[in-house]
Amino acid sequence: MRSVISLWLLVVFPQLAWSQQLTLPLVRDSLRFAVIGDTGTGTTSQYQVGKTLIEYRSKFPYEFVLMLGDNLYGNEDAKDFEKKFERPYRPLLDAGIKFYAALGNHDDPNQRFYKLFNMSGERYYSFRPKAGVRFFALDSNYMDKKQLEWLDKELSGSVSDWKICFFHHPLYSSGEKHGPAVELRKILEPVLLKHNVSVVFAGHEHFYERLKPQKGIYHFTQGGSAKLREGNLAKTDLTDKGFDQDNSFTLVEIAGDQLYFQTISRSGKTVDSGVIRRTNGKPDSTNQ
Amino acid sequence: MKTKAGVSGLILFLIFTPVVLGAFQQDDKRTNPDALILKEFNDRVTQYVELHKRAEKDVPKLKRTDDPAQINAREEALASAIRQARSQARAGDVFFPEARELFLRIIRGESKGTDGARVRAAIKEGNPRSEGSPVRLGTNAVYPDGAPLSLVPPALLLKLPQLPKELDYRFVGRHLILRDAKANIIVDYILDAVPAT
Repeated sequence: MRSVISLWLLVVFPQLAWSQQLTLPLVRDSLRFAVIGDTGTGTTSQYQVGKTLIEYRSKFPYEFVLMLGDNLYGNEDAKDFEKKFERPYRPLLDAGIKFYAALGNHDDPNQRFYKLFNMSGERYYSFRPKAGVRFFALDSNYMDKKQLEWLDKELSGSVSDWKICFFHHPLYSSGEKHGPAVELRKILEPVLLKHNVSVVFAGHEHFYERLKPQKGIYHFTQGGSAKLREGNLAKTDLTDKGFDQDNSFTLVEIAGDQLYFQTISRSGKTVDSGVIRRTNGKPDSTNQ
Repeated sequence: MKTKAGVSGLILFLIFTPVVLGAFQQDDKRTNPDALILKEFNDRVTQYVELHKRAEKDVPKLKRTDDPAQINAREEALASAIRQARSQARAGDVFFPEARELFLRIIRGESKGTDGARVRAAIKEGNPRSEGSPVRLGTNAVYPDGAPLSLVPPALLLKLPQLPKELDYRFVGRHLILRDAKANIIVDYILDAVPAT
């Protein structure tokens, strides 16, 4: 019996140790954040992803979390905010971690007035957590002229090296359920290209996908932080790395011209990691 | 002599300017018959927004809060005040017949043919009918909390008349609705705005 247990320990523990490993470099004074999407279910899987996300903070002290929309599915009463947002992430909220939300198609735009989503009362907004990095949260459900003009103005006025956009609908996707938001891409992509946006985070598809750079922009889809569409990731030439077998979240670290990323499953297993390097103002990546 | 010529010039200017401007306006109407319809539509939108703003004065000011109950209570109070203020509202008040025809022309123009297939597909994204969420169409009807909001294809949005921030266009199935974005109610709607195929 003892020999069986020893064998189990030998086989399982090294795997656990490996799977919980942090690949991010923890560079001094770097900017660290987490990315979650399509979270607001209030289901066990949301709580389990939340638990792993919280555990990882002890290894990787991130400062804030990006939410990629569908922050609350279904009703949006006070008890829903409690069940589908506040409770699963309570330790993070208590530790003062800020959540910056984008609106998904399941979100009442009045969520912008909910303080804990840090949307400044706007459907779209930008913030600069650190010199050299600016984020632009967009409302991809309703890309009207006013929003496009705002984005164009904000991007052209930004001197940040890293311009990162996040919104709900992915411009590129290998998802069988939704696929890419082609109509949105026709209008939005030229603005992103014009102003050297480096990275885009989107949700909507309930899995993780890192796409091959599209016209020099790195697109991540992280819509699997509570819901999961298992096996929905079609095999396409677009995908650099995909994961549709479990829920996940992504950790990001920006240090100078390098953006490191690590995507972790609900159980704590690393499913993707790598680094995007900016050279001559353009990003270039190495994946692990 | 100079003064006399100046006065004559001024008289001629005063006589002919209205004629010339009138001709231009006539010309504008002839070349762009939609201009009057658009103006009327914008006037009706402005009237609605004025009513919305008056209703807002009767409810607590919406501030950023960490209490979602306050946001919901305010949304409901505003919806209630607006419903009361336009209790006589009927479908077609904002989308009056000529405006309806204009909107149908724009939407159908964008959503027909091969290119239009993508637009029609985009309209189905997050559309409550695609996701099985019931939304009752009616003037002043509440847009339900649990129902998703459709994506409005940006190219189409750029062709439709721009709306003030109080309002947005959305699709429920193939129907276009004009939604009060703060009160979360349906202001008006056009049935079957998007062609089936």
